[in-house]
Amino acid sequence: MFKQFTENISAHQGYLLFSLGIFFVFFVVIAVMLYLMPKKHVDAMSDLPLVDSDDTETTNRF
Amino acid sequence: MQPENFYYDNKIVRNFGIATIVWGIIGMTVGLLAAIQLFSPGANLHNQYTTFGRIRPLHTNAVIFAFVGNAIFMGVYYSLQRLLKARMFSDALSKIHFWGWQLIILSAVATLPLGFTTSKEYAELEWPIDIAITLIWVVFGINMFGTIIKRRERHLYVAIWFYIATFVTIAVLHIVNSIELPISAFKSYMVYAGVQDALVQWWYGHNAVAFFLTTPYLGMMYYFLPKMANRPVYSYKLSILHFWTLIFIYIWAGPHHLLYTTLPGWAQSLGVAFSIMLIAPSWGGMINGLLTLRGAWDKVRDDVILKFMVVGLTAYGMATFEGPILSLKQVNSIAHFSDWIVAHVHVGALGWNGFLTFAMLYWLIPRIYKTELFSKKLASFHFWAGTLGIIFYAVPMYWAGFTQSLMLKEFTADGMLKYPNFLETTLQIIPMHVMRSVGGGIYLLGVIVMAYNLFRTMKQGSLVANEAAQAMPLAPIHTVVKESTWHRMLERKPIQMMVLALVVILIGSFIELMPTLTISSNIPTIASVKPYTPLELQGRDLYIREGCSNCHSQTVRPFRSETERYGEYSKAGEFVYDHPFLWGSKRTGPDLAREGSKYGNAWHYNHMMDPRLMSPGSIMPAYEWMLTQKLDTTTTAAKINAMRTLGVPYAPGYDKIANRDLDKQAQKIVENLQADHIKVKKDKEIIAIIAYLQRLGMDIKANKTAN
Repeated sequence: MFKQFTENISAHQGYLLFSLGIFFVFFVVIAVMLYLMPKKHVDAMSDLPLVDSDDTETTNRF
Repeated sequence: MQPENFYYDNKIVRNFGIATIVWGIIGMTVGLLAAIQLFSPGANLHNQYTTFGRIRPLHTNAVIFAFVGNAIFMGVYYSLQRLLKARMFSDALSKIHFWGWQLIILSAVATLPLGFTTSKEYAELEWPIDIAITLIWVVFGINMFGTIIKRRERHLYVAIWFYIATFVTIAVLHIVNSIELPISAFKSYMVYAGVQDALVQWWYGHNAVAFFLTTPYLGMMYYFLPKMANRPVYSYKLSILHFWTLIFIYIWAGPHHLLYTTLPGWAQSLGVAFSIMLIAPSWGGMINGLLTLRGAWDKVRDDVILKFMVVGLTAYGMATFEGPILSLKQVNSIAHFSDWIVAHVHVGALGWNGFLTFAMLYWLIPRIYKTELFSKKLASFHFWAGTLGIIFYAVPMYWAGFTQSLMLKEFTADGMLKYPNFLETTLQIIPMHVMRSVGGGIYLLGVIVMAYNLFRTMKQGSLVANEAAQAMPLAPIHTVVKESTWHRMLERKPIQMMVLALVVILIGSFIELMPTLTISSNIPTIASVKPYTPLELQGRDLYIREGCSNCHSQTVRPFRSETERYGEYSKAGEFVYDHPFLWGSKRTGPDLAREGSKYGNAWHYNHMMDPRLMSPGSIMPAYEWMLTQKLDTTTTAAKINAMRTLGVPYAPGYDKIANRDLDKQAQKIVENLQADHIKVKKDKEIIAIIAYLQRLGMDIKANKTAN
């Protein structure tokens, strides 16, 4: 089955697949990183816009 | 550690806010004037400076760089200070940025109607203004990064990443697409030619949409929407995924503007594939925005600001779904060059950029003036006027796009074009163009009401120019616990973040641009294609000055409906001396790639004097000034020299005798016109434009005859 693909791919299509491959690797790296990100940090980050200026709460300590 | 006291600079936010409102009204009014000219050519006020070809770029530049540009700076200067708990780095830089940007806009307002233009869409401004844009953009960058460096918040919120990516990508796009060879103070030639210029232009053009109209607005959405709804963003993780995938993918999508042209097929396919993939991050962002309102939908009923946000996000969702669909070759073959595209961009511009800007203004102005909004009723009126305005604008334009495209493609049972005269299709859609201006007018009315409402709000309050704030200083870095993931670490390292964003956007740019720019086999040459004669070159520059490419394309796609109508489809080798390329992106009138020798010189003379003499009902403006204005031949030598520098094979020393050839060719045209009882002097501009129009496509015709 794969022979069918590999034999019929011209140079241009290889170019497309290469580009898609780069993106796929990039996407997986981000996905893994997001999976590993601690929830505490994520919550603190998403609260940032809501922290008023006179409030001393920051993410500095996390 | 003791908390530190400091002040947010609200005055700069207010100034950018006022500029947004004023330029918004001006830019949209110019747009309305341009729209009216498409059914009533006399609305050009019988004046070259207010004719469609010159004011359409003024409209696009004013709404993109003046209205949206000022809105970006307003939103960034407000949110950046608060997210970083620091005043802007330098008040002086803020002022230079503000006034510098306004001066750039004023110079655009002065030069575009005068016909000083590069003709490249959304990059029309000539080289001195390009340099000024670069300098002011750097000022903005220093001010932003200076603020980031002296911040009191260790980690950078996702909005700031979008601002950083905007800064660095716009810098790259602007510089690469503005590499021009100056000829005089307000005239230059692009270093790229033909297909290469087209690719660079649409890599730029599409990413101007991505990184000027989209990423800064997404950043502002991630700050302002949680503030407006008083709840955190739906998913912060999704926003990270959204950010990286969006900037990675967007940069590749440009070639979808060049489908079925002579751009190498692999580049077109690459553009299509990545355009389709763009749905995912775009909708990820939209869904993240809309779901931020989870549990707060009851507020949307009463809060006009949230209404603007919801419709704005919905418009973003529609435009970013439609974009990938339009990039499919089959759909594109119908939509491209038609009013469908105009509808598409206006759903994005009026809905997404416009409505988010209005929401920010309604939210910001009362806060920095410590007062309430003057009238909620007027704001509500604005919301409905804006929404109906978009509908009345977009629906007729979709209708017009389908109608005209299908008419242009229709054949009779005998295999002949059913509407061989392009004008028939134009006349068919005039009622739709009238309705579109009504829609635009309603939208503009809403903006004027907003301006009144906000100025009354400012009057009843008083500006808190320096807003007091307090925050803990940053703890010394060694006391910070080691970060558990590298992205968390990245979130506190702005320079590394910028470099990484730059790398991400350069990957697609290099892979896509470099082969076409460097490998000559991508652009097969054609022996019969010769450089323009001096008179044709001057005529070409008049074509650029009058903005003809705003309505006429110069590239025939390989469809039977086009080869029947216009002639042989275009080849890459035809454009190797075209600095810049003039393919256009819209066919309000017919394609001109094969215009040469289609009509006589007298036809062109009369047509330019009054198009309705030759084509009754035509909506093309009359160019009577070209009949009387003298052609400036003092520039011929400089133009020939510049072209030679760029690789056009004019013989050495030809610049010195070019005007002699120019005179000879002009004399021939004058004699030919005399035979038709038209008396005109050979030094008039009309002679040069006729020479250029008569040259279009002749190289290919000559090739055929020789064969």
